[in-house]
Amino acid sequence: MPKNKVLSRRTVIAGAFVPVSAITAAVKATLSPPERKILEAFVDRLVPHDEYGPSAGEAGVVDYIDRSLSDFLAPEKPALLKGLAALDALRFTAMSPAQQDDVLTSIEKSADLRPFFLRVRQLTMEGMFGDPFYGGNRGYAGWDLIRYPGPRLAVSPEEQKAGVEIKPVRGSHGH
Amino acid sequence: MAINLKPVDVAVIGLGAAGGVAVLPLTKAGLSVAGIEAGGWMDPSQFRPDEIHNNIRALVTSVPKALQEIPTLRNAEDQPTRRASTHPMMNAIGGTSIHYWGQSWRLKPWDFKTRSEVIRRYGVSAIPAGSTLEDWPLSYDEIESYYDIIEREIGVSGKAGNIQGKLDPAGNVYEGPRQSEYPMPPLRATGYSELMKDAAQKLHCKPFHPPSAINSVTYNGRPGCAYHGYCNRGGCHIGAKNSTAITTIPAAIKTKNLKIFDHAQVTRIEVAANGAVAGVRYLRDRKEYFQLAKTVLLASYTYENSRLLLLSRSKQFPKGLSNNHGQVGRHYIGHWQGPPTLALFPFDINIWYGTPAQGITVDDWSDDTYDHTGLGFIGGSVLHAYHEMHPIQAANMDTFGQAPAWGSKWKKFVHDNAARWCPSYIQTSSFPYENTYLDLDPVTRDPLGDPVCRVTSCPHENEMRAGEFAQKKMEEWFLAAGAIKTMKYPVTPPGVTTHAYGGTRMGDNPETSVVDRWGFSHEVPGLGILGASVMGTSGARNPTLTVQALAWRTADHVTRSR
Repeated sequence: MPKNKVLSRRTVIAGAFVPVSAITAAVKATLSPPERKILEAFVDRLVPHDEYGPSAGEAGVVDYIDRSLSDFLAPEKPALLKGLAALDALRFTAMSPAQQDDVLTSIEKSADLRPFFLRVRQLTMEGMFGDPFYGGNRGYAGWDLIRYPGPRLAVSPEEQKAGVEIKPVRGSHGH
Repeated sequence: MAINLKPVDVAVIGLGAAGGVAVLPLTKAGLSVAGIEAGGWMDPSQFRPDEIHNNIRALVTSVPKALQEIPTLRNAEDQPTRRASTHPMMNAIGGTSIHYWGQSWRLKPWDFKTRSEVIRRYGVSAIPAGSTLEDWPLSYDEIESYYDIIEREIGVSGKAGNIQGKLDPAGNVYEGPRQSEYPMPPLRATGYSELMKDAAQKLHCKPFHPPSAINSVTYNGRPGCAYHGYCNRGGCHIGAKNSTAITTIPAAIKTKNLKIFDHAQVTRIEVAANGAVAGVRYLRDRKEYFQLAKTVLLASYTYENSRLLLLSRSKQFPKGLSNNHGQVGRHYIGHWQGPPTLALFPFDINIWYGTPAQGITVDDWSDDTYDHTGLGFIGGSVLHAYHEMHPIQAANMDTFGQAPAWGSKWKKFVHDNAARWCPSYIQTSSFPYENTYLDLDPVTRDPLGDPVCRVTSCPHENEMRAGEFAQKKMEEWFLAAGAIKTMKYPVTPPGVTTHAYGGTRMGDNPETSVVDRWGFSHEVPGLGILGASVMGTSGARNPTLTVQALAWRTADHVTRSR
């Protein structure tokens, strides 16, 4: 895919998030504002804002995780809060991005915190690339990033060709 | 006190891929049938293109009974026991046929007589050490007509490679002889499948589009596949994929001879004073019922088939029903699937859409189609290059050593490559061993206080070597297709799996098997068993069509012997 085309689409999307309220059920929150802030700083290093599009936080990943913790993933909340507290003890949100990357690199390797790191990474993948119904992938930022051509109910032979660009569709099928 | 229900000719425990098929020949023959199913009818609005719903949260496949009875697993008697992460059993009308890939293979003639064929060609020393491998009591030829019936009843698309000995290279020339062509052509070719087909031919393999219980064209009033890409662990939103809930069960209901008891949890199978089967005890809406039946067909999942027999103790069967020879739970096989072998291409292969059964397969490296002298294993693998990739799965890709796992460099990598990588599906023929078996867990219980199934299963050299051999062949195939990187993950043994066989093996000898050649207990008159639990070898391909052909055959036997 030609680079300039990607960038132009990114620019449009980065500047105009589609409001998800229309397709998303009322967002329940379970994390406190400071907890959300630490989580956002974390996921924004996993998927930073750059020329390829919005950061994880901008794409609604914190909303996805927060909302999941209030229902489907409620049993995981204590473990997640413990991990966030460990980051808070390091004053993670006050650090520069480079310092934050160093911290995340070390917890990625640490015996104690590696499971926390991997879990947040997995949840970031889910929030970034899952159906926007669940609160993440705002403005389809994740699907645009990986050039996913979007969920369709029926697919033509042309849309199963290799070596071609498939014209994307965007829409939510969650309910 | 249990509420006694009016006697029926046949009680079928479980209306899934196997029981859901068996009810059709039974009811068509005029027998009264009670279908006792732990789940209910699935709501088709659950079947939608939503990866979080289907795959991440597994909401189509998570059912309460199964989740309360998750088996435990250990590698050997002296190793620690752990709970498996999930239960592959599906409690619903249609069972696992709702969300499976639909791959609908016949086993090969060799799979039914592996032991004698291996001895004939390589000598008895080639039989894997510690295995309890036996020939099946029936040959491919004896089951062929049932394969043919099932392919028509549920609707299987594919291309025959051997019709009565006449070979056609458009199909699988290695398959056993078929009496007729598939009722539908194969699922459609794609850019990726053509790419892999050409590469296989370059390697002098014989690629073909594999068979699946997914309509390629309108069939029996159901539409052809829409290829939308959310088939794996999701139900079909248009009914193009067979599930017994939309094929054989509705046909059986039409006969008015089938009464379905849904959300009914079977707790015991009971016998009369003479040791013959008497009926089925179950819980429904917190009441206990007893369904009297002349014949009981046990058609739950492999783990539950053995568990229910072991739980059903009586004076006549103190070690569990049909277990006076100590064979229930023995000869368990977890199918070796994987090992993961991935490829990265320098262009978009676009496998997003379609369905996993759609793609290209080579059968050149399975069974005994090649000389195994000096290879150190018997059997082999079917290699399959396939469609369907979801966005979370795609972004979670291996970075092939070319990028970190997060940050801006990762972001650029997945931007470029999420549409350019693929997994593969390798199934390896797997055999029963002395040290692989099912029994009741002495500690872990379900909410009713009954022990869960415990799986004892360890790695075996034969399957390990066969898996490594298959990985190399898969890698060669990818490279011939133009892949710029490949990745081979370590070969690992199966745990609690969707391809579980044995526990109630079929055989002529009651000392080494539980059911006879018709699927009926050697010990308990009137008790038949359906499912992969009767299979003595796995083959290198998916079990469901064989399970269904055997289910039809056992049901047919009931109608003829009443």
